[in-house]
Amino acid sequence: MKKLPYLDEIFIYIHRLLEYMQQLMSIMAFYRSYVLWSFFINIIITIVNPNIFAAIVTKLLLTFFLWYLVNETSAKRKLIFYKNLGISTFKLFSVLFFVDILITITFLLLIKEFI
Amino acid sequence: MILEIDNVELNYNSKRILSGIYLKAETGIVTGILGSNGCGKTSLLNTIFGDLQPKYKLVRIDSKPILKPLYKTKLVKYLPQHTFLPKLNLSTVFKLFYVSWQEFILQFPSFSKYEKTKTHRLSGGEQRIVEIYLILKSDSKIVLLDEPFSHLAPLQVEKIKQLINAEKKCKVIIITDQMYTQIIETSDEIYLLKNGCSKKIDKLNELEDYKYLSEGSLN
Repeated sequence: MKKLPYLDEIFIYIHRLLEYMQQLMSIMAFYRSYVLWSFFINIIITIVNPNIFAAIVTKLLLTFFLWYLVNETSAKRKLIFYKNLGISTFKLFSVLFFVDILITITFLLLIKEFI
Repeated sequence: MILEIDNVELNYNSKRILSGIYLKAETGIVTGILGSNGCGKTSLLNTIFGDLQPKYKLVRIDSKPILKPLYKTKLVKYLPQHTFLPKLNLSTVFKLFYVSWQEFILQFPSFSKYEKTKTHRLSGGEQRIVEIYLILKSDSKIVLLDEPFSHLAPLQVEKIKQLINAEKKCKVIIITDQMYTQIIETSDEIYLLKNGCSKKIDKLNELEDYKYLSEGSLN
C-alpha cells in the first residue's frame, strides 16, 4: 500500500502535541494545590498596590520561595511524579509562574474595570 | 535496547559512595541489583534516572552517550522507595500516565471502588500497587524499580512478579530490593554493589563468597 506523503511527520507532530498537553495537565494538577493561596495573594496585591509590574515581581519572588520550600522539604519526593512525565523542576516552576501570572493579570485588569 | 552506565563517581561530603560502577541492562532481561544497606543502590538508580548528579557518570543507550538527564528523554520511568503520587484522583493519575484504568481493575478487582478516590486515602500497600502498576505499564523503554516488593502482601508480590515478567519483553528493567530471594527469582542477571563497586554475579554462591549472604543461606 502506498504511504501518504508527510504522514509520519503528521503522526510525530500529533504525538508531541499530546505529550505537551499531558505535561500541561500535570503542571495544572500541581498548580491546583496552590491556587487558593495564589488567589489570596491576588486580593492582597489588589488592596495594597494593584500595579501589574509589582504583581509580577511579587509572584516571581513567591515562586522562587515555593521552589526553595519544595526543594528543602519532603515535598521534593513528589517531584519524581513530574520527572516521570518528563517535566524537570525548572520547567514545572516556570510554567507554574507563567500560568499564575496570566491569571493574576486577568484578575487585576478585571478588578480595575470595577474600581 | 541496551542501557549501560559506567564511570560513576559519587561522593556525599567526603564519603565516597560509588566509584567503580559498570552495569549493563537490556530489553528482554531483568537486571537485579543487590547490596547491603547504604551501599548506594538507590543512589545508583537515581543517577541513572538523572535525579542525582554525581561528579562523573556516563549513561549510554545502544552505545550512544546520553548527556542530559535520562528522564528528560521520556524513555525512563522510576519507582522510588517512597510514595511519589500527588493528591489526585486515581482516575486522573491513570490518565496522566496514559495507563488504562479498566485493564488495571481487571487485574486488581479490589481497586474498582477507588476510581474517584484520592491517592493519599489508600493504604501504604495499595498506593504501592498503584505506583508499581503505573510505572510498569506506562509507555517507556526503561523501568527502574527501587524496592517494589516492600509493603506488599505475598499474593500481591506474586502478581507484581508476573507483571515484571510480562513487561520485560519490551522494556529494560532494573530492580533492587532488600528481599534478596525475590530479586534472585525475578532477575535474569544480578549485580552486587560492594565498597562502591559493581560485580556481576555469575553463580549465586558468589553472593556468599562476597559476604553479602551468610554461608548456607542459599541452601
